[in-house]
Amino acid sequence: MAYVLIAILSVLVVAMVAWPLLGRAPEPSVAEQGDDRRAVEEELQRSLDAIREIEMDHRAGALSDEDFRALDADERARAVALMRRRDAQDDGAGQ
Amino acid sequence: MTLVGRAALLLAFAAALYAVGAALWSRRKGRREFLVSAERGVWAVFATTTTAVGVMWWLLLSDRFDVADVAGYSNRTLGWRYKITALWGSQAGSLLLWMWLLSIVAVLVVVTNRRRNRDLMPVVVAVLMGVAAFFTSVLSFVTSPFATVSPVPADGRGLNPLLQNAYMESHPPMLYIGYVALSVPFAFAIAALVTRRLDSTWITSVRRWTILSWVFLTIGIVLGSRWAYEELGWGGYWAWDPVENAALMPWLVATAFLHSVMVQERRGMLRIWNMVLVILTFTLALFGTFLTRSGILSSVHAFGESTLGPYFLALIVVILAGSFALLFSRMSLLRSENSLESYISREAIFLYNNLLLVGLAFAVFWGTMFPVLSEAVRGDKITVGQGFFNQVAAPIGLALLFFTGVGPMIPWRKASPRELRRRFGGPLVVAVIAVIPAVYLAQDGAHWWAAAAIVLGAFTLACIASEFWRGIKVRHQLGGTSWPGALGQLFTRNRRRYGGYIVHVGVVSIIVAIACQGAFSSQGDLALRTGQSGEVSGYRFTNEGGTRAKDDHKMSVGVTLGVSEGGNRFTTLEPGVDVFLAQQQRSSEVAVDSSPLRDVYVVLVGLTPDGLARISVFINPMMMWIWIGGLIMVLGSVVAAWPSRRPREAVVPAPAGADGRVRE
Repeated sequence: MAYVLIAILSVLVVAMVAWPLLGRAPEPSVAEQGDDRRAVEEELQRSLDAIREIEMDHRAGALSDEDFRALDADERARAVALMRRRDAQDDGAGQ
Repeated sequence: MTLVGRAALLLAFAAALYAVGAALWSRRKGRREFLVSAERGVWAVFATTTTAVGVMWWLLLSDRFDVADVAGYSNRTLGWRYKITALWGSQAGSLLLWMWLLSIVAVLVVVTNRRRNRDLMPVVVAVLMGVAAFFTSVLSFVTSPFATVSPVPADGRGLNPLLQNAYMESHPPMLYIGYVALSVPFAFAIAALVTRRLDSTWITSVRRWTILSWVFLTIGIVLGSRWAYEELGWGGYWAWDPVENAALMPWLVATAFLHSVMVQERRGMLRIWNMVLVILTFTLALFGTFLTRSGILSSVHAFGESTLGPYFLALIVVILAGSFALLFSRMSLLRSENSLESYISREAIFLYNNLLLVGLAFAVFWGTMFPVLSEAVRGDKITVGQGFFNQVAAPIGLALLFFTGVGPMIPWRKASPRELRRRFGGPLVVAVIAVIPAVYLAQDGAHWWAAAAIVLGAFTLACIASEFWRGIKVRHQLGGTSWPGALGQLFTRNRRRYGGYIVHVGVVSIIVAIACQGAFSSQGDLALRTGQSGEVSGYRFTNEGGTRAKDDHKMSVGVTLGVSEGGNRFTTLEPGVDVFLAQQQRSSEVAVDSSPLRDVYVVLVGLTPDGLARISVFINPMMMWIWIGGLIMVLGSVVAAWPSRRPREAVVPAPAGADGRVRE
């Protein structure tokens, strides 16, 4: 009985790892190709969050007008740069 | 069945080795099918390890005393629940649990990254399966949970009575999940270094895993403390034991990482430091496993002497050397995007908080390892007492409490003095008011650090409350929502920030409670015959008679105590002692009356046949707030880690002054 179980387990393990190698090589999915875009998108979302947080802190009185203007301008510039990178990636993918 | 268990572990070892090779091959040759095959290898490791765990539980539940671990850690009278938990009672069994959890974590990583991080995944899989190969090789060739004994004993020795406790059923798995989950941030960090993809991608992938690990380590540490408090019967909950320290060190460094990663995300700074923290956290998790198993230090929690130490030490050395060599080779790619503009800014406060946390972790490491180092250098094993740890931890804990309050109130980049005055006015008033009871309690400076903890705790709570109040006010004004609605919006719009504040409330609760317990606890011993009364710290205890009982499993004695204060009886306590027959080991069953202000904690030291009960009484102030604080911390981290819906609207870029508001 034990030997039967071991044999079944061994066959299962070999089948699991060998199956992808026996079939046709899978094409990279669109999602897979989009890793760079996702990275930029996530960074952009963080930048947008940061702009919201700066604005909230300013409204809550945690930032002076002067500090707010400087921080907000910097973060917006970063967001714009990220949007441009994202657009460039989209243009590249579309061509 | 032991043969099936052994074969399953060997197959797991082979599958892990194959997954490492296939993953690296897929990266080298760009052959995607080998990555998919390697990921199937991860599933195979999970399937085979699950089989091994299933076999082990079957052996435990069916009393197969021909297996050494079953004979050593179970017996016929042990209940089924403890037979299940006996899996991690033994050295090999606990390693099997570690390995099983690692295989589950690795499968989750594969499943959640089927469509993302594909560039990183070959190295991630190789690292995770490399660690799995180490554990399965140890389980196959060094210490097997399926080793057999001859002659076969009629009954087992049973599970250590100290482990027959509800907290011990869950404490080790919680800690192990915490340790094992730390392998994921480590694997992603190494993958980012190897592939030179050092943008924020790997950070995004590991942050949630680090929080998950941190939550489980927190639960594990709190449950372990609670177990020590209720089961060991010495009136305390934390003794700076080497194995307790082993769990605390990665927790401290992971806490530092969770803060410094925000600096990297927001300001592009501390990128090298974050890599170092991730490497250290995982190494410390392995170091904890090494401490528990090597037998180099004695601990109530450790397994006995074993031959495993050199293997773990070799793994730690290889990981440290390999990781830091890789890190140094990528230094030029990890330069900070910005520099520190002011020493009074949020990033600066996070840096101070990091230095304190890592400094405390180093002090704990030094104190823990000092006996080994002193023996190696001078030939004498000099043990470091609790005094050293308390002396180091108290000022660092107070400084951390201060920065917990200050950090979130200070903006990124810099803070003007006028803003600081405006922000901290309210919390400073609260702190000044708190000075009055604190000075009264300090008793001429004898307990100055407990007084400082109370003042700083009040200050920090006021800072957190003020942050909530400002946020709610803005939300209320902005959206025209009700006040409770505005509070709800704070959490839905910025879970991470406000979840973090909840965690900070838990931190305040724990630090203040620890300080008060340390400073104001009292203890007394009484010997009372039936009907006699005695007093400790204003509480009167009356012996109302003893009890004795015996079953197949254990012999129990107990005493019933009426407890009163100022003439008013408020509770009945029944401390006892169990003597477990199989092991001839005694275990205290302490009796505790808990209230928000204090615990009345009673241990039965002995009960003579003529009814004389010797008891130890501990009055522990604020103890309940340690457990409540732990609960609040877990709740806050769940809020912080909970996935939030991303707004779909993009920013409208605008020059300063124009309406470029981000829509939500």
